[in-house]
Amino acid sequence: MEAHQRDLYLYERLNARVLGVSMDDVITNKYFAKELWLEFPILSNPLPWMGKSYGAYSEKEPFLKDGTSNWFGRRTVVIDKKGIVRYIKDDSPDNKEILDFLVKLEEEARKK
Amino acid sequence: MKTIKMKRNRERGIMARINIGISLLIAAGLFFGGCATLAPKKPSALVPTDRGTVVFMGKYEFKRPPAGWVLLKNLEGGDFELGFLRMEKGGFPSQTTFIYDDEPFGSSRELERRSEQYCTRFLFNSGVLPQIQKKEKVEVMGQPALAIHLEGENPNRDEKSRSKVYLIKKGERIISFVCTQWRSLRENYDPEPFGHFEAFVQSFKFLQPTFYEELGEKMKKLKG
Repeated sequence: MEAHQRDLYLYERLNARVLGVSMDDVITNKYFAKELWLEFPILSNPLPWMGKSYGAYSEKEPFLKDGTSNWFGRRTVVIDKKGIVRYIKDDSPDNKEILDFLVKLEEEARKK
Repeated sequence: MKTIKMKRNRERGIMARINIGISLLIAAGLFFGGCATLAPKKPSALVPTDRGTVVFMGKYEFKRPPAGWVLLKNLEGGDFELGFLRMEKGGFPSQTTFIYDDEPFGSSRELERRSEQYCTRFLFNSGVLPQIQKKEKVEVMGQPALAIHLEGENPNRDEKSRSKVYLIKKGERIISFVCTQWRSLRENYDPEPFGHFEAFVQSFKFLQPTFYEELGEKMKKLKG
């Protein structure tokens, strides 16, 4: 998250916006963002439908029998202007790879 | 019949021994064949120059510390790009480490603000709670920089630390050089390793554009 904040000016120049998604509640996310000086929104998703929708549960089920939820895994997703998922990567995000990918998307968009 | 069976068994035994022998020969052949193969020699991470410096992976040139310092390199991304470590005389944890980190903690691209962010997390997990002793504006590699001196103690673990951090403006980004010396509370700090750190920093040169400099060029082309 902190690395995304460091590269935020580059994402903006490449017409991309960053959204974080967490299963933590709003107040926890607020303090987390404050501690890391994050300026982009972090969505609170305690019932992890977003995690399920974007496939962040590769090895376990999102919901347990007792009604609680499993934590979803780390996944970076790049969605283009048409809403199509163009990039997926699990575990820690690789900012350099993401920035390179965004350059490609921009090149692609300018060719059209 | 008994004699024939015994003979067959003996023949089978001989065949088995021959088979084992052949297998061993093949195995030995493979083993020694493997020895004879010339495996490509891994290039050294540090290549000496005739200027009394070394080149690291073709990317940076600098004065390396003398024998006794171990190279720390990070090839797959992580907390730093490269550094050196030396275990020193004295009780645990007597050692000095210095590193070059191209992405120091924090996000501000303004030096003073970045130093505030950086210092809140410096040696965060160690429990020594480093305090700023001195902060001064300097120039490193001809670029504006901040030199920060920090010291901290953790009485519960009988540890103390003394650090010097350079935060340096490089283009739009901020890079850092960090040296930390660890001692037990009753032992004195040693200024000598900090001299090697200074020589490392003052001699440091970039031989290739960084990822972010290359990205900047690509983005300029996109706009053009």
